[in-house]
Amino acid sequence: MHSSKTAAERRQRFDEYVGVYHQDMYRYAAWLSRDKAIAEDVVQEALLRAWKSLDALREDLSAKQWLLTIVRRENARYFERKRLETVDIDNLTASQAALLAEQPDEELDEMRQAIYELDDDYREPLVLQVLMGFSTNEIAEQMGLKQGAVLTRLHRARAKLKDQMVKQ
Amino acid sequence: MNCEEYREAIAADPSFDGGAGHLTECAACQAYRADMLALEQTISRALAIEVPELQVPELPELSTSTTDNVVTLPNRRWVSATWIAMAATVVVAAFLGVRLIGTGVEYDSLTDEILAHLDGEPYALRVTDAAITDERLNSVVPAAIAQLDHSAGLITYAQSCSINGHDVPHLVIQGERGPVTILLMPNEKVSEARSFGGNNVVGVILPIGNGSVAIIGERGERLDIIEQEILKSVTWST
Repeated sequence: MHSSKTAAERRQRFDEYVGVYHQDMYRYAAWLSRDKAIAEDVVQEALLRAWKSLDALREDLSAKQWLLTIVRRENARYFERKRLETVDIDNLTASQAALLAEQPDEELDEMRQAIYELDDDYREPLVLQVLMGFSTNEIAEQMGLKQGAVLTRLHRARAKLKDQMVKQ
Repeated sequence: MNCEEYREAIAADPSFDGGAGHLTECAACQAYRADMLALEQTISRALAIEVPELQVPELPELSTSTTDNVVTLPNRRWVSATWIAMAATVVVAAFLGVRLIGTGVEYDSLTDEILAHLDGEPYALRVTDAAITDERLNSVVPAAIAQLDHSAGLITYAQSCSINGHDVPHLVIQGERGPVTILLMPNEKVSEARSFGGNNVVGVILPIGNGSVAIIGERGERLDIIEQEILKSVTWST
């Protein structure tokens, strides 16, 4: 009786986290992988791993960072398994192209392409800051960097996007 | 604050609200700030792609209770920020008294279990120069199990964890690229060094006597230096 109640509570806790953070997990995965289909696979694997490791998460306040860390590692594992290296912007697959052409909005399309073309080192902290609302200190923890390095990457990322948008 | 400093700050974080004195007097930076805020709106909208309907994968049954595997954050104290390497002398003397109950999950390999374990403790991987207390370290790695000489190193996290059904001291040190995890596994014998990793993580499981040590860091971390320090300084006594 006790174990079934505990299992139910565990599942409820898991569902609550997933309900709140699924969108963040998917978008983070999509911008890390730059591919919607891969993002779905990564999120599936991340959910499984989160389920198995749920008991290790003690504080609800850490749930978002914890889930995004799992997504980050799953994305890295996916690319390691698949041996995918670089993406040629001129030869995108359908699911890669889908990331760039979501809405018929020229300005947003151009911005998505500019973000898509950013180096991973610049794109990831930008996503964590703008989409996930992380502070630079939290981004530093997430990426294992010094805070100064994060500030530099964010500054350069925006400078590149600004330049790119001006060119277009 | 001058124009360059202000623009770097606002470009790193458009919510930056410092430099008010400079901003009031500098029309160019006022225009730059307005541009950055407009750019930020576009970036935010561009990143917010549509999300497909949630598909939760089939979740395996787990046999453990929710309280079997909790962890606590370590206490910390400030010490010298210089990290050279960890000099550790490990003497296995006895099996740990209290065995934590595992999660009941089957893993394909020791590597998988180690990576899954790290996923469960992301807060261990903090970039910090705040070392744990000697008391904390001694409680995680008691003398009955190991002796650690950490005078030359900076250990920023220590927790007794369960790997493959055995209690394992889980330590984190600060490497050149970021936090480096070290798992002291006196009960995990491996025949040869096993390297593993991905785009962002590299690791190795080193055989040492009848046990092994796992070292995991960010890609680009010079694990070989840490490996040499560990190999030189770890001695199993059984």
